[in-house]
Amino acid sequence: MTVQGLRTVTSAQNGAGAFILQCKRLDLHYNLQGASSHGLRTFVQTLLPKFARQYPQIEFRVSPTPKKHPVVRGHYINGREKPICVRNMQPNEILKKVILLKEASGEKNRRQSKPVRSLNESVRGIWSPYHGDLRGV
Amino acid sequence: MFSRSVLRRFASDLRMSAPSTISGAAPHPQRACLHQTASLKASQEQASSQLSSSKPESPLSATPRAQTSQPTTNQRTPPNNFIPQNRSHTPDEKRPVAPEFKEPLKVTRSLMERLPHLVGQAPHYVVAKLHDKPYLLTPGDHVRLPFLMPKVQSGDILRFNRASALGSRDFTLKGNPHIDERLFECRVRVTGTDAEPLRIKEKTKRRQRHVQQIRSKERYTVMRVMEVRVKTPEELLQEGAVIVEEGEDSPAIEAKA
Amino acid sequence: MKRLQLQRWSNSVLSTRARTGSHLQHHLYNAVRRQSSTAAAVQPEFSTGEAEHETFEEIKLKTILRRTHSRPNQLKYPSPPTHAAHESAKLAALHARLYLPSRLPYETLARTLVDASADQDPNFNNESLSTLGHDLLTYYTSEHLICTYPRLPLSVIFASMYAYVGPKTLTAMTREWGVEHASSPGGEVDPGLLQFQRLAPGTELQEKEDGPRPYQSQPHWRKTVTSKIFYDNEFGDTAKTAAEGVSADQASATFVRAVMSAIYLHAGRPAAKRFFQQHFLSRHLNMAELFNFEQPTRDLTRLCARENFERPVAKVIAETGRKSRHPVFVVGIFSGQDKLGEGQGASLSEARERAAVAALKGWYLYSPLNVRLPSAMEEDEAAPWKPVHVDLGEVIV
Repeated sequence: MTVQGLRTVTSAQNGAGAFILQCKRLDLHYNLQGASSHGLRTFVQTLLPKFARQYPQIEFRVSPTPKKHPVVRGHYINGREKPICVRNMQPNEILKKVILLKEASGEKNRRQSKPVRSLNESVRGIWSPYHGDLRGV
Repeated sequence: MFSRSVLRRFASDLRMSAPSTISGAAPHPQRACLHQTASLKASQEQASSQLSSSKPESPLSATPRAQTSQPTTNQRTPPNNFIPQNRSHTPDEKRPVAPEFKEPLKVTRSLMERLPHLVGQAPHYVVAKLHDKPYLLTPGDHVRLPFLMPKVQSGDILRFNRASALGSRDFTLKGNPHIDERLFECRVRVTGTDAEPLRIKEKTKRRQRHVQQIRSKERYTVMRVMEVRVKTPEELLQEGAVIVEEGEDSPAIEAKA
Repeated sequence: MKRLQLQRWSNSVLSTRARTGSHLQHHLYNAVRRQSSTAAAVQPEFSTGEAEHETFEEIKLKTILRRTHSRPNQLKYPSPPTHAAHESAKLAALHARLYLPSRLPYETLARTLVDASADQDPNFNNESLSTLGHDLLTYYTSEHLICTYPRLPLSVIFASMYAYVGPKTLTAMTREWGVEHASSPGGEVDPGLLQFQRLAPGTELQEKEDGPRPYQSQPHWRKTVTSKIFYDNEFGDTAKTAAEGVSADQASATFVRAVMSAIYLHAGRPAAKRFFQQHFLSRHLNMAELFNFEQPTRDLTRLCARENFERPVAKVIAETGRKSRHPVFVVGIFSGQDKLGEGQGASLSEARERAAVAALKGWYLYSPLNVRLPSAMEEDEAAPWKPVHVDLGEVIV
């Protein structure tokens, strides 16, 4: 056998071809009586139906949690989750938080110094000191 | 892109008369996955009835519905549960403005001669400029802009129309200072927003025991490069390019030394 | 379990007249909980209209009662009933997440998620769909590979097929589509979960005893590449089976193939092709990393002899520190005046080997411009077909 094939797996580039929204589920937990949950209760009744229809990719779960502050929790494709406490927030503020969870990728927040990250090799090649003409000192 | 948003105001009345180039695709059915809040059965039935009547012209709507760089909220429509689903629902004044060119693209003879060499040598890179900052992009790259781009949401497709260089392994087309946007296509898809970890900067003043803490957590727009394509000379001529003689500031393709 | 209980309660919460659960309600709710592993199957059907407001509680109670009594019905079947597909939030979300065509109904999508190990009935599992999907995927991938890289050696074609549509890749795609696995199949499971009978831990996959290959039972039987084309699958592997259950990899691969064929059947060929391009071909694969040469210099000599090139000669292009601890040699391989490849290494032989590898990869990874695939002829009003160039393949030593 002259040449063997090495087995690898292609790596995903979400958005290069198909785009899949990384937020797959949103859990909304609120208290039935609590005053801190008032905003989330109003949000669920007023703004949530429209938002859910706008983003059918996301599964929504609404459930009361007794004696707890309200929480919105996003579940992501990569298996991580992102909880945000929304106590004493107005429905509009909660909508902003929900949009934040929807737009997030689920990755941990990291500092990144370079704007572009690439899997491709350098198009023009890497500079080599052994090629090209000698330069006069 | 941003310069066009200024144009948008002037061009909106113009497009009122002109027909839209995007045909009204079959509307995506409104699928409610709202869990236990409201079953929305009525609206689903309505959607399914729409669906059966609409002709199946777009079999796989794998392209996202919101492809404009504008938010798809519609103020003019009545608020009774209407969600804009495709571009035909977007109001005219909010649609992206197609660029208007006063004169056809002028390419020099030497550029036309060397362009096939550049086109034939894949892969390509482009030095796209956004707010005058260069980004060297190849297809499939992950870009995190150093700012939060307004009025975009995940899934939108943008086209970068300003580039200073465009090249392959051995050839580079350099702009002076920019390449005409009709020579290439570079599309990116917005994949979401990202945030840096919370930074706390401690500020102190002299002779004062109070330490002020400044918190900051910037948010950034994340994108993925979909395509970087150089147009072939045949395409350029088909689109109405005019061949001129050499000029002073005309872009030229340079071969690698 | 606690959270599930809460999700059940949310119906009463949403009504303006929320009331605490009576004994009967508690009983019913508990029964419902045992019935369903997730809350999706317990979705009540109530409309947003205000006219039904007074009967809201009754409707809810009726729904729960009906579902409680249908529990034996649900448990009767090994996979969820067809009508459950329209009540699953997970399934609707998956449908929307993949931007599947509206002509592809939820029922079919639910069927693609049922593995043959979960439901034996071929009318309800995805076995037939996945057979078609497998053929489609391998056809589109192989025509793409052979037309884009017409000189690839066969073992590299096997490896790249594995990279594009192999079970590992399909498993990764299932994860990236956000599909979760049901812990155990059954009629009460949410239809949006991937259902399969899990392999018992520690089970060895057995090669089929009565394979089609002759002399298989003989010791020291060498499998040639040519025999792999005839007897093995598209990745050059022999088929392996287990007595009971499938692994998660196998079930995920079957699911992705079934989705592909479901799109093909419901939305047509162009949609399936577009789905393939957007989800499979858009993934990143560096073809140059798939090669593993044993004796590249020998191969290159044979290749030059086959193609009537001049005999390849290695020449030092540049060097530094020959007598130092870290010498660097740059060696080029020339055939007459043409430089075939170039390599850099710490010794002359290493640099020469690398140069030979670069030359061989440059030959094998040739890709013509403006590739047209044979499947383009399936479209209406396609231009007349011009034969594509497919090379002889690798050199045989």
